[in-house]
Amino acid sequence: MSQKSDELKIYWNKIIYAFPILNDNLSSECTDTEYEEIAHIITGLSIQVKIRDLILVHIEKYLRHNVAPSFWSKFTKIEEEIKGFQLFKSAVNDLYESVNSFSILLRRLTLLNNTCCDNRPIFGERDVIQGFKQLVRATLLSQLPVTFHVIINHFYKLSFNVFDNMKAYEDSFMDEDACSGCWNEYSECNCAYIVKVFYDTNRKLVELQLLERLAGQVLTNFIQQRIEAHIHKLCTGTFDLSYIALLEKWLDVTVMTWLTRIYCAGSSEPPPDDENVQNAIAKFKQKLRYYLYHSYTKLRIDQLFIIIIEYPDSRPAISDIKVCLNKTDLQKSLCKNLQNALETRLLHPGVNTPDILTAYISTIRALRHLDPSGVILETVTKPVRSYLRNREDTVRSVVSSLTEEGTGSELAEELAKFAADNDEEGEKEEAWDEWMPDPVDADPRNTASDRKGSDIISMLVNIYGSKELFVNEYRTLLADRLLAQGVINTDKEIRYLELLKLRFGESQLHFCEVMLKDISDSKRINALISQDKNFEEMNNKFASNAMILSAQFWPPFKDESLELPDEIKEHLADYTKAYETLKGNRTLSWKPHLGNVNIEIEIGQKKLDLTVSPFNATLIMHFQTKPEWSLDELHEMMKVPVNVLRRKITYWQSLGLISEKSSDYYVLVDGSEACKSNVPSNQVQEMICEDEEAESVMASAHDQREGELQVFWSYIVGMLTNLDSLPLERIHQMLKMFASQAPGTECSLNELRQFLDTKVRTHQLFLQGGMYKLAKS
Amino acid sequence: MKVTIKSWTGVATWRWIANDDNCGICRMPFDSCCPDCKLPGDDCPLVWGACSHCFHIHCIVKWLHSQPQQQCPMCRQDWKFNNK
Repeated sequence: MSQKSDELKIYWNKIIYAFPILNDNLSSECTDTEYEEIAHIITGLSIQVKIRDLILVHIEKYLRHNVAPSFWSKFTKIEEEIKGFQLFKSAVNDLYESVNSFSILLRRLTLLNNTCCDNRPIFGERDVIQGFKQLVRATLLSQLPVTFHVIINHFYKLSFNVFDNMKAYEDSFMDEDACSGCWNEYSECNCAYIVKVFYDTNRKLVELQLLERLAGQVLTNFIQQRIEAHIHKLCTGTFDLSYIALLEKWLDVTVMTWLTRIYCAGSSEPPPDDENVQNAIAKFKQKLRYYLYHSYTKLRIDQLFIIIIEYPDSRPAISDIKVCLNKTDLQKSLCKNLQNALETRLLHPGVNTPDILTAYISTIRALRHLDPSGVILETVTKPVRSYLRNREDTVRSVVSSLTEEGTGSELAEELAKFAADNDEEGEKEEAWDEWMPDPVDADPRNTASDRKGSDIISMLVNIYGSKELFVNEYRTLLADRLLAQGVINTDKEIRYLELLKLRFGESQLHFCEVMLKDISDSKRINALISQDKNFEEMNNKFASNAMILSAQFWPPFKDESLELPDEIKEHLADYTKAYETLKGNRTLSWKPHLGNVNIEIEIGQKKLDLTVSPFNATLIMHFQTKPEWSLDELHEMMKVPVNVLRRKITYWQSLGLISEKSSDYYVLVDGSEACKSNVPSNQVQEMICEDEEAESVMASAHDQREGELQVFWSYIVGMLTNLDSLPLERIHQMLKMFASQAPGTECSLNELRQFLDTKVRTHQLFLQGGMYKLAKS
Repeated sequence: MKVTIKSWTGVATWRWIANDDNCGICRMPFDSCCPDCKLPGDDCPLVWGACSHCFHIHCIVKWLHSQPQQQCPMCRQDWKFNNK
C-alpha cells in the first residue's frame, strides 16, 4: 500500500514537473523527451482526462489571480494622454507576454488532449489553443474595471491623430514648428514611434481577439465622427445631386482602407488566410454602412423642409431619402421632424395663404415621390390641412391660383394635366403584379387606392371635404372678374370652365356656364339695342351698355344703395324700354352701384380720361353742378351711408380734385390748383383704382351665411321673450331641438356666437354676464 | 370743371313680368329654367294662358301632353295659349 502511494507520489511529482501550472507556476525545466516519458505514465495510469481538466482549472485560476489583475491594474484614470498611451501599450505588451508564456504548457496540453479520446470541447472550442484564448478573454472581461476606457481613449486618440496626420502630411505642407501629430517639435517628433507602437499593439490585440472588445467602441465613435463630418461637408446645402453612390464609394475606399490598416498593422489589404481579421473587418463594414445611411438620412431629414420647398430641383435628394428609408428605421422621426418644421415655419399668421398653399403643393409632390403609398404624406400634412381649414382665404387662394394664367401657377397646369391624363385609366389594370401591401403604420380606415388616387387638386379640395364650397368660391371670383373687366375675354373663361367641369362635374358648374352666357348675350343685346331708332337719339349723348344677368344664377350681390343722377336714370330707363320691346314680357332691374363708367374731366387746361365706378362718377357729377357740398347734403342726394361716402370720396381727394375744407365739408379744387397737385398723383391714381377693383362686389361667404342664419332670428326672439335671458349654450341647444328641421340650417356654436354678436353690435341684443337678453324697444 | 360721360356700362338683372315668382308646375323660379333646361330666358321662355296663369313653356307642354283634357293645372279652366 505504502509502496503504491510512494509510487503515486513520484508520478505526481513528475506530472507537476511537466505541468508546473499545477503549483501555480509557469516556468518549466522539463524537456520534450522527459515530457514524453511522463505522458506515457499518464496514459499508463489512464488519468489523462482528469489531469487535463485539473490543468485547465489551474490555468483559469492562474489567469484570474495573476494575469487579469495585473493587466487591469494599469487602467487607471489618467489625464495626460501620453501617459495613458504608455500605460496601455505596456499593459497590452505584458498581457501578450504572459499569454505567450503559456505556449509550452499549451503545446503539451494539446498533446495530452489528443490522448484523451473523449472529444469534449474545451471552453466551447475543439482546439486547446482556441479554448485558451476564449478563457483569457472571458477572464479578462469578467474583471473589466469601470474606467477602463480612459486610457484606451488616450491611446487611440493620440494614435489616430498621428495616423491621420501621416496622410495629411503627404498632401499639405505644414507651416507650424510642431508636428501636429504628436505635438512635439519636429526634431523630436515621435510619430514614427507612435505609429510603430500603434501597429504593434493593434496586432497583438487582434491576435488575442481583444481589439474589437477593447477598442471597438472608441474606433466606432471615431469613425462615426468622421463619417458625420464628411457627410456634412459634402452634402449640406445641395439637393440636386444624389450622394449615396459617392458616399458608399468613399466608405469603401477611404474608410475601409484605413480600417484595414489598423487591423492588419499597416498593410491596406487584409491577409487572405486570416479569416478572423476578414470577418472582423466585414462586420465592422456592415456597421459603418448602416451608420453612414443613418447619418445621411438624419442630415436630410433635418433639411427636409428646404428640400421640399425646392422640390422639383431637389428630386435627387428625395430619391436618396427614399433609398435610405428602406435601410434605416427613421420613417417615424422623419414624419415628426417634418411636421414640426412645417408647423414652426409655415403654419403661423405671418405666412400668406398662397405661400402655404405653394408649400403644401410641393410637399404633396415631394412626398408622393418619396413614398408612393401616401402614408407619410397623410401623417405629415394633417396639421397643414387643419390649419388651412381655419384660414378664411384658403378657398379663394386655391380657386384664384387654379384659374391664374402664366407659368407661375402650378395648379392651373395641374388642372390641364388632369384633363390630359383622364383617358389613361386603363393602364392601372396591367400593374397588378406590382402590387404592394400597405405599410404597417398606414391608417386602416383608408384604402391604398384612396391615398394614391387623389391628385393634388383633390387633396386641396378635400381640405374642406366638399366640392360645393370650392365651386361657390369659384362662382364668386368669376362674377367679380366678369363685372370688373371692361373687355371680357370669354373664350379664356370658357376654357377654364371646361377644365373645371372635367374635374368637378357638369352639374356643379352649371351656374357658371349661365353666367358666361349672360355676358355673351349681353353683348348681343347691346348691339341690338344700339340699333334701335328710339334709343339712338339717347345714345348720341353717350354710349350706354348693360350687362344683363340672370339673377338666379349669380351669387348674391352686396346690397348697396346709390341714387344716380337724373340724367343717367333717364338713360337707363330708356334702355329698359328698349329691352322690353326686344324681349317681350321681360324687364330689367338695375344695380346702380355696379358697372363702370368712362368719363372725361376737363379742368383748367387739363383733360383727364378715367374709368371709374358709377359711385365715383355720380359724386363728381354732383360737384359739377355745385362746387361745395357737405357730407350730409351728399348723403341726401345719393342715399349712400355717410361712412361709405367718407371712405369713397378719398378717391377724388387723392386725384386732387376735391379737398376737405373743414370737417365733413368738401370743396371742388379750382382748375389751376388742380393742375399743380395733379401731376405727382398719377401713381396714387393707379393705386387707388386697383384698390377699388380689388374689392369684391359680391356678398362674401360670411355675409351669405349670415343671411342663412337669419332663419333662426325669429326663434331666438321668441325664446328670449319668454325666458328673458339665456346663455349661448342654451340657445344653441334649443335651436337644435326646435329649428334644425329646416334644410341647410345646421349651425355650430361658434357661428351662433358670431351671429349673436352681430346682433349685439346692432343693439338688438344685450350681452350681460354671458347671458343674452333682448334689447328693450 | 366739366364732366363728360363717354360711356356708361351698367349692370342689371332681368326678370319676367309675371304675377307670380315660381312656376306652378316645377316650382322653380320663373327667372330660372325648368328642370329639363340648362339656360334660362330665351331658351326656356314663359307662356301665358287665357286664364292669366303662366308657366315655363316646357312645363305646361309636358303637362298638357300627360292629361286627357287640356286644362290649366292651377284653375282647371280649359287651357288656351294667350298670344298677347
